[in-house]
Amino acid sequence: MVIDFSTFYDLPGGFQRLFDEFSRPLAISQRRGTYPPLNISEDEGHIYVDVSLPGVEMSEIELSLTEKTLTLKGERKMEKGSYYRQERPGGFFQRIINLNLPIDREGVKARLVHGVLEVSLPKAEVVTPKSISIESA
Amino acid sequence: MDNERTQTEERQLPQVIPATDILEKEDGFHIFMDLPGVDKNDLVIDLNDEEISIRATSAQKPRGDVRFTHSEFCSCQYARTLTLSSVVDRGRIRAVLKNGVLDLFLPKAEEAKPRRIEIQAG
Repeated sequence: MVIDFSTFYDLPGGFQRLFDEFSRPLAISQRRGTYPPLNISEDEGHIYVDVSLPGVEMSEIELSLTEKTLTLKGERKMEKGSYYRQERPGGFFQRIINLNLPIDREGVKARLVHGVLEVSLPKAEVVTPKSISIESA
Repeated sequence: MDNERTQTEERQLPQVIPATDILEKEDGFHIFMDLPGVDKNDLVIDLNDEEISIRATSAQKPRGDVRFTHSEFCSCQYARTLTLSSVVDRGRIRAVLKNGVLDLFLPKAEEAKPRRIEIQAG
């Protein structure tokens, strides 16, 4: 055997994982099988989509925006060699995110920071709340 | 005091065992580890006699006042320890962190490389 796989060494971690499974909030555990994992958050003016995509170049990610959806497509390439252990997922992936608001297409920005894709989608002006000043007569 | 505080803060992050590939190429072994969101400065690799341990912290910068509508990953602490074989040349281990993937290259020691033995006619 060339490299010890340390299965037994990992045992305390295994218990920790089991414990995490129970204590994890429901919102995270609902869709664990999907790849890549993503977070969606919003503030008043933007919707933010963060996608965990380690090892993928920006040029290998295809982002497209339609009126109602944001589609994320790409391929994670695998290294060639003889594997002793393989845990990292590979292959083609696609995720479609439904957008329930109109988006200002011109202002969409995406950047890749340490393997996390950050997409910021500005909400179209029509939907941002505007305060109306009331004039007294 | 200050140090103590950072330690407790770190402990609050969930512990994650990073997904790891171990593969062999002609020149040696490669260990690939998914560490999304980790900056080079937040990564520590320690080499002991037999073990190599990798610890890292991913910290997504908070965007201020945002409301999460859907969440599948979060900032966390990565930790994993692997046992090295004796054929690895410890002096020439190389680590590269790129796009959230750690590539550890463990070259084989010269004496461990396969060699063809010449047969001389007697």
